Amino acid sequence: MPEPNEGRNPGTGGRVATRHCIGRIGVISIKATGNTTRMKKLTRPLLLLALLLCAGALFAHHGNSAYDETARVPIKGTVTEFIWTNPHSQIYLDVKDSSGKVVNWGVETNSPGILTRAGWTRRSLKAGDQITIILCPAKNGQPVAYAGSGDPGTKVIFADGRELLFADKTAGP
Amino acid sequence: MRIHFRSALVPLVLILSAGVNAQVPAPKRDLSGVWGLLPAREVSEDDKQSPGGEVPPMTAWAKARFDLEKPGYGKRAAPGGNDPILQCDPMGFPRILYFPAPFEFAQISNRVLQMFERDNVVRQIWTDGRALPNDPDPLWYGYSTGKWVDDTTFVVESTGYDDRTWLGAAGFPHSETMRLEERYQRVDRDTINFTLKIDDPQAYTKPWIALPRVLKLRPRAEIRQGYCVASEENAFTKRIREPGALKTGAAPKN
Repeated sequence: MPEPNEGRNPGTGGRVATRHCIGRIGVISIKATGNTTRMKKLTRPLLLLALLLCAGALFAHHGNSAYDETARVPIKGTVTEFIWTNPHSQIYLDVKDSSGKVVNWGVETNSPGILTRAGWTRRSLKAGDQITIILCPAKNGQPVAYAGSGDPGTKVIFADGRELLFADKTAGP
Repeated sequence: MRIHFRSALVPLVLILSAGVNAQVPAPKRDLSGVWGLLPAREVSEDDKQSPGGEVPPMTAWAKARFDLEKPGYGKRAAPGGNDPILQCDPMGFPRILYFPAPFEFAQISNRVLQMFERDNVVRQIWTDGRALPNDPDPLWYGYSTGKWVDDTTFVVESTGYDDRTWLGAAGFPHSETMRLEERYQRVDRDTINFTLKIDDPQAYTKPWIALPRVLKLRPRAEIRQGYCVASEENAFTKRIREPGALKTGAAPKN
C-alpha cells in the first residue's frame, strides 16, 4: 500500500490530511478570468459550508503546497491527451466555463507503476473521453491540478458513471 | 440434536478462523519476494520519503547544506525548489526505500539484491563475508554488506553514499561517510520488522534512529521499470510544475 502523499511531484509540496470537501456538494464549473479561477454556481453559503466541512483538514494542513490538497474539486471536460510517462503521468482536458470559453487543464497523476497497480493502463483514457475528475486544484488559480494516490478521494468518473480510482489493487496477500 | 450440532460447529468455526488468521512462519534465511512498507503514522511535515523518527541536531557543516536546500515538502516547502529528483538525479538510499512503490528482494549466491521500481535501481548487498571498504569512492546507492545474525534477521551495513542525495524530501543532508545499519527481521512469512540507524558524525551530533517500520509481502505486486526520464520530467515541469508554482495572479508561461 503506498504511503499517502509520497508519490506526488515533490516540487509542489506536501499534505497532512485529506477529506472530501467541495466535491460533496456537486459539480461546479470553472471560469478562467484573466489569471484567476472562479467558482460559479456555488453560492456563498454553500462555499462557506464546504469550508467548514474542511476545517479539520485545513487546520491539519501545514505544507506549502502548490495544490490545495484540502479541496476535492470536480472538473468536467473532454480529454485532449493522456500522457503515460514516469514519474508523472498527466491528463489534459478541455473544460468549458460558464461563458463558453474553453480552458485546457493539466492534471498531474501517478507514475505508470502506481497506476498499473491501481488497475490502469495507457489506454485507460483517450482523447475525446468525456470525464469528470475530482482533483486538488493549484492554489494559484492556474488550470493545473493533482489527482492521484497521494490524495485519497481524487478519481476519474466517466460519463456513464464508471470510475477510475488510484488505490493499489495489489495490496494485501 | 440441534444443540449437539451447534456444539460441534462452534469449535469447527473457531478452528477454521484460527487457520485463516494464523501467521505462516518465516522461512529460514530468506527475504525473497516483493515487499511494501505499511504506513506507519500520520505523515508529518518533514518526513516525506524519509526515515522518520527524531532528527538529531545537525552539525554546522550539515546546517550550511540544509540552508541551501529548497524542498517541496516540510516546514520550508515552497513550489519550485532544488530537490535533486526534480531533474531525475538519483534518489539515493535510504530515501528510495520510503518512496511509495514496493521493492523486491532476490537472493543469489554472494549477494542479496534489493530491486527498486524507481529508476530500476538494483542495490547490491554483499553476503560473502567481505568488509566495508575504508575509503570508498562515493556511490549513489552506497556500498553494502549483509549477514544473517539468526535464521530470520538480516543485518545490512553500508557506507560510501554520494552526498548529493537527500535523506528524504524535506532536504536533510548526509555526508559520504554516513554509515547505515539496517535490520530486516522477518517475523512471519508475510511480515518484516524494519529498523534503521544512521550514523553520520559529520552531519549529525548523534545517531539518527529511524522510525521502526513494517514491511508486508506483496505477492500480487510486480516491480515495474520506473525510470525517471529527464526529457519527460522536463516536459512535465514546463506544462504543469512551473504553472503550478507561479505566484498567485502571475501569467502562465505557455
